[in-house]
Amino acid sequence: MLDAIDKQLLKAVADLEGIPKGAFNIRKNGKLLKREVSANINIETNPEGTGIIITIKPGTVNESVHIPVILSQAGLYDVVYNTFIVGENSDVTIVAGCGIHCGGPEREGHSGIHEFRIGKNARMKYVEKHVAVGQGKGKRILNPTTKVFLEEGGHAEMELSQMGGVDEAVRLNEAHLGPKSTVLITERVLTDGNQSATSKNEIFLEGEGSRANMVSRSVIKGDSVQYFFANLEARAKSFGHIECDAIIMDNGRNETIPALKALHPDAELTHEASIGKIANDQLMKLMSLGLTYDEAVNKIIQGFLK
Amino acid sequence: MIELKNITFTVPKTEDGSTQRTIIDNLSFTFENGRFYAITGPNGSGKTTLAKLIMGINPITSGSVILDGKDITSMSITDRAKAGIAYGFQSSARFKGTTFRDLLSIAAGTDNEGKLAQIIARVGICSMDFLDKPVDAKLSGGEIKKIELATIIARNPKLAIYDEPDTGIDLWTIGPMVELLKHEQRDYGTTTLVVSHNRSFLEAADTLLLIKDGKIAYTGNFDNALPILTDLSVCGFGDTCEGASNVRCYR
Repeated sequence: MLDAIDKQLLKAVADLEGIPKGAFNIRKNGKLLKREVSANINIETNPEGTGIIITIKPGTVNESVHIPVILSQAGLYDVVYNTFIVGENSDVTIVAGCGIHCGGPEREGHSGIHEFRIGKNARMKYVEKHVAVGQGKGKRILNPTTKVFLEEGGHAEMELSQMGGVDEAVRLNEAHLGPKSTVLITERVLTDGNQSATSKNEIFLEGEGSRANMVSRSVIKGDSVQYFFANLEARAKSFGHIECDAIIMDNGRNETIPALKALHPDAELTHEASIGKIANDQLMKLMSLGLTYDEAVNKIIQGFLK
Repeated sequence: MIELKNITFTVPKTEDGSTQRTIIDNLSFTFENGRFYAITGPNGSGKTTLAKLIMGINPITSGSVILDGKDITSMSITDRAKAGIAYGFQSSARFKGTTFRDLLSIAAGTDNEGKLAQIIARVGICSMDFLDKPVDAKLSGGEIKKIELATIIARNPKLAIYDEPDTGIDLWTIGPMVELLKHEQRDYGTTTLVVSHNRSFLEAADTLLLIKDGKIAYTGNFDNALPILTDLSVCGFGDTCEGASNVRCYR
C-alpha cells in the first residue's frame, strides 16, 4: 500500500517507518489513504468533504495523532481544511506534515488549513514538518495556515519547520489566547537556490494573564529570500515576546518585521531580532576545536535549526 | 616545543594601507615542552595578538612558527588544532541552539557519555545536566569560562593557550582555575601559555614574559619582574601621556 517514495516522505515528515500506532489519518495525492481512530481520538471527514475533524475527548492524556499528507502526483494542488478539537484537561501530541515528491516538470503543492480549538486547561503539542524531494523541475509549493484558539488555561506548543526543497511557501500562523493561556511557537525555515518563504504571524493576547512566545530561526542560502512578519497584539494584561534570528549565507535576502501593539496599559511586550552572517567568533571557536571552515558552518547551522 | 622566529605582525595604519602599524616587532622566543608561561604587559602591548599568531587566528606578516621541529607558519587554525594546539578565547563565543554537549563532543572527538563525564569532572562540573545547556547569552561569565576550559582540556593539547582566562569570573574562582591549569600541566605535560594581568597566574608560571610595544621586555621569574610590573601598573601609557593629567593613567 505504501510505495518506496511514500515511505521516504512519511519518514521525513512524521518520523514514521510505516503505518503508525494509535490514531492517524494518511492523505495521499488528495485522497484518504488510511485512517485509524482510537477510543479517545476520533477522526471523521468534515460535512463539506474538504478535510477532517479530529476530536480529542476531554481528559485524554499521553496520546498522539499523526496526520501526514504525501504528494507525488504531478500537477496536483491539494487543499485541506482540518479542525482539531482538543478537549478540556487533555494532553496530546499532534504530528502533521507534508511531504512532496516531484518527479516531473509540473508544479505540485499543498495548502493545509489547520484550526485548533484548545479546551480549558488542555495542553497540545503540534509538530509540523515540510519537506520536498525529487529530481523533477516542477515547483513545489506549500502554503500552510494554522489558527489556534485557546480557552482559559490552555497551552499550545507549536513546532513548525521547513527544511529545504520547497520552492514557494507562504505561511500564516494566527493565535487567539484566552485568560491564563500560553502559546509557544517555534518556526525553523531553511531556504536555498531561488526558493522563497514568507511567514506571517498574528498573535492576539486577549485574556488576562495570557503569555505568548514566538521564536523564529531562518537560514537563507543561495539566492533564496525569506520574509518574516510578526504582529503581537495585547488586549489585556499579558506578556508576549518575539525572538527572530536570521542567518544569511551566500546571496540570501531577508526582511524581518516584528511589531508589538499594546492595547492595554499592563501589557508587557518585547522583541529581539537579528539578521547577519554566521558570527566570526563562533567559526573561530569551532575551528580551534579541529573542525574545518565548512564543518564549522554546518555545525552552527545544525545547532541553530535544532 | 614551540619556537617563534623573528615574528612580525603589522596592520594598515591608513585606509589605503600605505603606512603600517607594527603590533608584534621581530619577536623570537622558544616555549619549552611541559612548562607554564605567563604573558603579561600593558594594554595594547600585543599580548593577545601574540597568542592569536601562535594559533593562526591572525596571519603572521613575517617570521615563522615551529612546532616540534615542524614549520606551521602557513597552517590553518584547523590544522594547528589537529597538530595539538588549543586556544581559550578571552570572550567566549555564544551560540544559538548549540549546547555544551555539542562543543564538548567536537573537542573530545567522541560523544561517549562516560568520557564526557570524566572531562567535565576535571573542570569541576559535577552535574551531567549542565551538558545540555545551550551555550548562549544566558550563561553567566563563570559558566561560559568553565565551558571554554572544558573544551580545551577535552582536546588533550600539547600546547594550551589561554587568553585572559579570568575575564568575567569572580575573584574566588581564580585560585581553583590556576590549580586546574597547574594540574593539567603536571598530569598531562601540557605546555601552558596564559595571557593575564592577574597576579595569581603570574605567580604560578615557571616563566614570565613581559611584552611591551610588541617586543619581549623581560623574561624570567615573577620576583624579578615585580619592580617592572609595579611600575607598569601605575601607568602603561608612558609614551602617550604626560604624568597624571591623562585619565587612562588611573585605569
